[in-house]
Amino acid sequence: MNVDITDLTRRFGRTQAVAGVSLQAGAGVFGLLGPNGAGKTSLLRMMATVLPPTSGRLRLLGRDPGSYGPRREIRRRLGYLPQNLGYYPGFTAAEFVEYFALLKEMPPGQVPRAVAAAIEHVGLGDKARAKLRTLSGGMLRRAGIAQAIVNQPELLLLDEPTAGLDPEQRVAFRALLRDLGQRATVIVSTHLVEDVGAACTEVALMDAGKIVFHGTPDELIARGEGTGAAGDAPLERGYSAVLAAARSAAAVA
Amino acid sequence: MTAATAAPVRHRTPRATSAIPLTAARLLRTELRRNAMPWILPLIAALFWFDSYRPSTRTAPLYVLRTFWNMGQGHTIIDIGPFVAGVAAWMGSRDGRRGLADLVTATARPRWAAQLATWAATAIWAVAAYLVFVGVMFAWYAHQGVGGTPPWWWVAVGATAVTAFSAAGFAVGAYWPSRFAAPVAAFAGFLAMAMSSQTGFSHISGWALILPTNSNGNFQADSGIFYPWLPDLPVARIMFLAGIAVAALGLTGLPARAGGPWLRRAAAVVTLAGVASAAIAVGLASTARLSAHGMVIPALHDAASDAPVTYTPACGRAAGVPVCLNPAYRRWLPDVNGALAPVLAEVAGLPGTPARATQVAAAYSSGEVGAGQVITLGGHPPVLRMSLGQLDMPGPCGFCDEPVATKQFADQIRLGFAQAFVGAGNGSGSPGQQAVQAALLRGAGIPFAAQPKLMATTKNGPGPPPGPATGPVYAAARRLATLPAAARHAWLAAHLAALRAGRLTLKELP
Repeated sequence: MNVDITDLTRRFGRTQAVAGVSLQAGAGVFGLLGPNGAGKTSLLRMMATVLPPTSGRLRLLGRDPGSYGPRREIRRRLGYLPQNLGYYPGFTAAEFVEYFALLKEMPPGQVPRAVAAAIEHVGLGDKARAKLRTLSGGMLRRAGIAQAIVNQPELLLLDEPTAGLDPEQRVAFRALLRDLGQRATVIVSTHLVEDVGAACTEVALMDAGKIVFHGTPDELIARGEGTGAAGDAPLERGYSAVLAAARSAAAVA
Repeated sequence: MTAATAAPVRHRTPRATSAIPLTAARLLRTELRRNAMPWILPLIAALFWFDSYRPSTRTAPLYVLRTFWNMGQGHTIIDIGPFVAGVAAWMGSRDGRRGLADLVTATARPRWAAQLATWAATAIWAVAAYLVFVGVMFAWYAHQGVGGTPPWWWVAVGATAVTAFSAAGFAVGAYWPSRFAAPVAAFAGFLAMAMSSQTGFSHISGWALILPTNSNGNFQADSGIFYPWLPDLPVARIMFLAGIAVAALGLTGLPARAGGPWLRRAAAVVTLAGVASAAIAVGLASTARLSAHGMVIPALHDAASDAPVTYTPACGRAAGVPVCLNPAYRRWLPDVNGALAPVLAEVAGLPGTPARATQVAAAYSSGEVGAGQVITLGGHPPVLRMSLGQLDMPGPCGFCDEPVATKQFADQIRLGFAQAFVGAGNGSGSPGQQAVQAALLRGAGIPFAAQPKLMATTKNGPGPPPGPATGPVYAAARRLATLPAAARHAWLAAHLAALRAGRLTLKELP
């Protein structure tokens, strides 16, 4: 298992952002769904090794990120796209991706080729030499995805990766996800259920810091059938039904 | 976006240690290319021209005087340092300001290493700009025929100061990733330099000598002309500033996200080493004492630095007497010859008349006060020794109200000569000596009425300022001056020994 999480918690003062999450994920595309404030981003930041857990056990790529050496080794094999990605306005798209390739300690000889490939994969080939300040929001998002995949990561963490992408780019991105998921663990945090349906082999739904559903997209769809839950698509209905059930259970408890 | 049908080869080979410098070099290249420092360089260049170069050209064309303003008083540092601190803070706060802290932290390369690359690029731009600005200024000085040698040690101090500003500013930005970090760092840098300058005005010795804009240092009258620039104080200041730079950079490696435990321990050691270096430098500066050639720090001093600079003098003649100056003063040789000619003619043929006149190094007792005797006469055969470094030479003189006129300079030389010739030394001499001195000056073209003012402007000995050209001294001087030249000459020849011994009274004058 590339991701092995047991009873993971994270507190920010009195707020418990992640409350006893357990999760295992191997190769494939793993969708992390949930409403705003469910704890998806905090969970992803812990998996990205930038936020230490308050308690629980976290193993990534067979290593314990609590120790510096293993953490560094994980980071070499990690791709991460934060929810709010900043950028260096004076850098070109290629420089931005190259910069992170070097920070990920890729062998310098492989960097130029890897950068060109990553830029091509996200469809920014013709904008490689453009300064980031001149790119649109969607293009910046793609530059962010390029830096995340430049090192061919074994664990790829994407927080709202399709935000700002146009429909055509979103379709292409899902294809890219499916391809990456054949050899790596890709965890996609999103609130767009169609992304999950199109690209994910597994899905977990978080609410109030807990995982309230874990299964395949088809199983999530099945949870919504015949419940009369709100939603335009089967996945949305499953999503709504699971959330409603979890919240009513929490209220009873 | 396309599916990765032709994905690059996976690279799961162990990292070779030889790849680390190459990675660092590539990071540095990117940081150099996209650094914010070049954007502010035109502003710094304009300020440098206005505040460092332009005022310096109002001083005489000698490196020691030209650079007293911009290097000694540290205007080059004041013009550049605060801006560098501001830009460095801007760069140091970049990841936090731009919302990239998480992304950078999630990479394998220690954050401290990445930050050092960003800082290094900023510092390289800043120091390179400083060196280019100073280099252009010195090249222009050389084109203008400025005499002496450039104060390279003080250039090194300035470059280290710029480095220290960049490091300190960067640390401010790294710890406070806000858009306000840059202006605050710049203002703090300016304030520090202003306080350093003010402290320098009042503290001419002790620990305050370590401050980079304290002008009380090696900027003695003949530094780099007769003697090399002493490196003692610059070395101490470089230690101090480098210590600050190292400590500031070490501080950026202390936070938990900066790197692993070993790296953070190393950062702590680096910080302590920087603090120790700065503290040792302050201690060394407090032991500094002023020698005849500049500031000496016993623990750093190399006696070889005291060896005079060899040179081929520039020579001419005044009233038949050879006059030789240091080549740095070559442009003033006609002025010196013109000043000496009338007084040498007055005493020609008398015993003790100089066989030659030569320039000697000025010996200062302190930074700006207590000059010694400008002109002395002695030896066998008698040699007139002039320490012109104590005088304002004809032309622009920097801190004077107006340029020094040739006549003003000539009068100072003639007065110094007359004082030396009658044996008055550094003081006002005996009444007899004063009277003969006044008569000699009168013969050299300085009216009695103008002499008290001349002596007041050049007075450097003890006692009250000279009064008006009246009284028994000037009465005796008038009597001597009205004698025919041959008679005056004969009287002087007969009484010169007694006169120089101070035994001649006014009544004994003709």
